[in-house]
Amino acid sequence: MSAIGTGGIADSRVQDICRAIGWIGLGLVAVTVSLSDLLAAAPADATGIGPLLSPPSTAFQLGTDILGRDMLSETLHGLTATVRTALPASIIALSFGALAGFSAARMPAPLAFGLRWLADIFAALPTLLLAVLIVGLTARSWLGVAAGLAATPYGFVHAFDRARRDAYAAHAEYARATGLSRTALLRRDLVYEFRAVLSASAARALASVTIILSTLSFFGFGAEPPQRDLGLMIAASRPYFLHAWWTAAYPALALMTFILFARLAAGLEESEPP
Amino acid sequence: MLRFIAYEGGRLVLGLVGAAFLAAAVASAGHLRDGVFPFFVAWGERIGAFAALRFGDCAISGSPILTELSNRLPVTGELVVQGAVAALLIGVPVGFAFAFDGARRVAALLVRLFSAVPTFCLALALSYLATNQLHWHAQHDAEGWLYAPRFLLQPGGALLPVLTIGLAGAAAIQAALRRVAENIAEAPWRNQMRRMGLSRWEIEWNLCLPLFLGALLAHLGELAVALLSATAVAEWVFSLPGAADLFVKSIALQDWSAAGAVLFVFAGLTLAAAFAGRCTAQPLTSPFSLS
Repeated sequence: MSAIGTGGIADSRVQDICRAIGWIGLGLVAVTVSLSDLLAAAPADATGIGPLLSPPSTAFQLGTDILGRDMLSETLHGLTATVRTALPASIIALSFGALAGFSAARMPAPLAFGLRWLADIFAALPTLLLAVLIVGLTARSWLGVAAGLAATPYGFVHAFDRARRDAYAAHAEYARATGLSRTALLRRDLVYEFRAVLSASAARALASVTIILSTLSFFGFGAEPPQRDLGLMIAASRPYFLHAWWTAAYPALALMTFILFARLAAGLEESEPP
Repeated sequence: MLRFIAYEGGRLVLGLVGAAFLAAAVASAGHLRDGVFPFFVAWGERIGAFAALRFGDCAISGSPILTELSNRLPVTGELVVQGAVAALLIGVPVGFAFAFDGARRVAALLVRLFSAVPTFCLALALSYLATNQLHWHAQHDAEGWLYAPRFLLQPGGALLPVLTIGLAGAAAIQAALRRVAENIAEAPWRNQMRRMGLSRWEIEWNLCLPLFLGALLAHLGELAVALLSATAVAEWVFSLPGAADLFVKSIALQDWSAAGAVLFVFAGLTLAAAFAGRCTAQPLTSPFSLS
């Protein structure tokens, strides 16, 4: 604890390298997803491709599952399904969370604090249960919307508090005292928000909604065959993964790699919750 | 201080009222298919029923929801408490160790690696390791989990869900500690205190430690949400008959009354934890306005 001290240039360099690794990784995932039909040896959910529960071998690099599906092809298709749902979900989380929170903080006080109170109530609920509730109230086809909306309250609360701090910080008071209008200040803060925080917030939202989506599917509230995502693949492997580890390990590895790239792209600063 | 507690108390009451309204809306969700007006009528009736502590009957067991909750909440409570202890035992040392300047960068990377593991993957990985490496029994009779002494008799059994929750909670704890570490790293008062003659140890012990403790307490609400989320996953993976399990099954069966009641309990627990945390953190953090 005693050596808590300077971060400086080295810290920011490490940050930049990690961000670059994260965005390059996300780019690679995007390429893999767009080429998944070419890269996969078998179509999605094609059974009887190989022997049942065959361990990884030269013929089936990631093995096969209980129905003889090629795990490599299934993992590629699963990753595609996960990423395709996660992208719109993260846009929803970002729009209704971070950006809405930022805007709400500049509204007239009664409205701003009314919205903050509402967000506080939703933020008091476990995100996963909120997502399960939204899927239950709508339909499984609303999976992405459910995950995005469930991640919203937390982002809203943090963006709101940050924006209130900025709006009433000493520099803002000085700026107002020198005659700078509230609109000019808002414009400046918005530019800062977009330039400095938006990419990190987007990457963070992507990681969060991916975890929610995969957990929803694992619980049985998400994707349905033949469009199996990684969460559903892991859930399907539960009865036999203790003696056929590859049926759960590879989808889990693909899922964690995607989330890790998103987390790295969000940066390493501790000022925001992970 | 009293003014602060009164303010936070007001926030708690408003939060609980909002949570009750939300729970009543969820409990009335079945009326949405009849139209908006019948839904609002049912919502109003539900709010009245909730005020009289009438939650209705549970679709899973047929018993009153309050009875069902009283059977299931101890399981969830036990898991949350044991998980919180595990989270503190793991998260506090890790958070302090990674608060050192030299370790912070490495820690940030390691934390990103660890936080990329969804809780259900962690639970399955622990099950695999316990079964194949330690030869524990990962699958259990559901009724067995209800008895606390069995946790002591069969540590291999209850340890997995508790460890799953503890590791998820530890991630939240160490993150809170490291956030404070970053905040106070460049604080100008550190140098000012040195110039006033205080030794580094005195600064850390008398000024920084209360800030760390205050940060932990100030984030008690977030920690409660993290623990409840992890408990929901642990109950599902390890087939434990807790309140989160009741919620998920109620949603699957469209038993909105039970789902609403569980939501209210969870929101109430989180809001109460946030209130208690903020109130106890205030005397520790107020001199520096760092919460």
